[in-house]
Amino acid sequence: MSAISIRHLTKVYPIPMRRERVTAVRNLTLDVQPGQVYGLLGPNGSGKSTTMKIVLGLVSPSAGSTHIFGRDSREVESREDVGFLPENPYFYKFLTGEETLHFYGKICGLAGDRLRRRASELLNLVGLEDARNRRLGGYSKGMLQRIGLAQALIQDPRLLVLDEPTAGVDPAGSREIRDLILDFKKRGITVLLCSHLLSQVQEICDRIGILHKGVLVREGSLTDLISIDNQTELVLENASPDLLSQIHSLAAQSGAKILSEHKPQTTLERYFLEVTSQKN
Amino acid sequence: MPSPTKHIFFSPARIWAIATNTLLELFRLKVFYFLLIFAIFLIGSSAFMIEFTFQEQFQLLKDVSLGAMSIFTWLLAVLTTAMLLPKDIEDRTLYTILAKPVPRLEYLIGKLLGILFMLFIATLLMSAIFVLALYGRQQYVLAETLRTSVGMPPDQLAATLREVHNSTFTVSLIPGIAIIYIVAAIFASLTLFISTFASSMVFTIMVSIAVYLIGLLQGIARDYWLGNVTTGVLPRIFLAFVALIFPDLQLFNVVDDIVAGNSISFILFAKTAALGGLYTFIYLLVAYFAFASKEL
Repeated sequence: MSAISIRHLTKVYPIPMRRERVTAVRNLTLDVQPGQVYGLLGPNGSGKSTTMKIVLGLVSPSAGSTHIFGRDSREVESREDVGFLPENPYFYKFLTGEETLHFYGKICGLAGDRLRRRASELLNLVGLEDARNRRLGGYSKGMLQRIGLAQALIQDPRLLVLDEPTAGVDPAGSREIRDLILDFKKRGITVLLCSHLLSQVQEICDRIGILHKGVLVREGSLTDLISIDNQTELVLENASPDLLSQIHSLAAQSGAKILSEHKPQTTLERYFLEVTSQKN
Repeated sequence: MPSPTKHIFFSPARIWAIATNTLLELFRLKVFYFLLIFAIFLIGSSAFMIEFTFQEQFQLLKDVSLGAMSIFTWLLAVLTTAMLLPKDIEDRTLYTILAKPVPRLEYLIGKLLGILFMLFIATLLMSAIFVLALYGRQQYVLAETLRTSVGMPPDQLAATLREVHNSTFTVSLIPGIAIIYIVAAIFASLTLFISTFASSMVFTIMVSIAVYLIGLLQGIARDYWLGNVTTGVLPRIFLAFVALIFPDLQLFNVVDDIVAGNSISFILFAKTAALGGLYTFIYLLVAYFAFASKEL
């Protein structure tokens, strides 16, 4: 069973007072398998946020369907196993960090000691234990992202949907969030990630889908998509510059060690720009 | 890997969490500070009562206090409710709540319940201020009566003092204040409904004010038109429609009876409370139908 299953998803927004309509998502089909970190990429206005909102049941599709672990996204019960961190999240500023987690925990059905333990655990995980009694109105951008991550994890979900989780966060904080996501992956949590930070996506995602003007233009494993087919890359140890032009034989004769041999990669950023400029 | 979680179809605990959070939000927004204005208004108005007889003083104090309570609770209901939902949408906190397994109906019920709790506490506090003011006025009148009763026969003095006591606190005060709270609850529910489709907070407040005015005037308009034999069928149907959709606030107006010292029968109170409860419930239901299909 897929963690997320999207079939022929289409979303059309009518423009009030006009006869025009905007197609935000067009006939999208994709699957996210359990335990994967899936990057959903695309320029602004490509349909990423709309797709995420439909998956989360916040918006209804015009056609097609979305399922989370086999449950229709339009049903409230499908969100039992989902944690969501929106882009630039604002939580209730009048609540402290601890109160925020308690609130979200209660609406997820947690209570009593179990909730208190879980909240403490998450505050510790995201590095906010010292700010637990401070109101969110006094939190920095990075702290808000981290408390947002904590509330997304409060009910121990099987799926995390993260929209720009490191937007506006400093490099150190960004690295911490990246490490957290890798830790989620190790624990078997599925992650659907939307991000404009392609270098970060390249570091953590297993599969990516690129949306452009509502259409899925590329989809697949990251390694396969950004590999350059007609080139081979060799990594040599203790090789002199003279060996490079006759690599295999010279390396064996001189005692140099071939550590790996694989297709060289362009950067995801370059690949992304090539694909989207082709579509334009 | 975490295991799947069983969904609870209808959860009072979820509703309670949202309701208490809403109450906390309003408390930390310091909405109760407006009660200071009410207290100052009441104390200020007392200064102008000295020239009247004690019966007139008590009537005036009740009239002014209950009238002010009606307006303040109504204002509090409309203004706080009008900002709640738009604020959650604008701040995107609504996304994080509805991305959890929270049905939209529970979210609305929780929000309304939080506002109703706040209105209850506000009504209680205003009642306390009113009772204190009335008690203070009573003590003042008693002291004045004793001071000016030199030479008065003891029976006459006792009768006067008894009349002062009987004029102050009457039984109808409690159901009267309860009905003031019920009207505020109706408008909280109505404002919540309007905010589910309104494009701005100003629009929500303006429509609530319009409904309030319609509620105040529809009884008079209806009596005039229905009393006129030349009124056609269509106007009569229209009036019936208006009477159904908008609460007739004249039915909830018991302040005059309380000020006059008349008692409010339990049957009348129960009918009025039930009507208020029905309007509150129906507006909540309509709010849910509007909100259920709202695209976020």
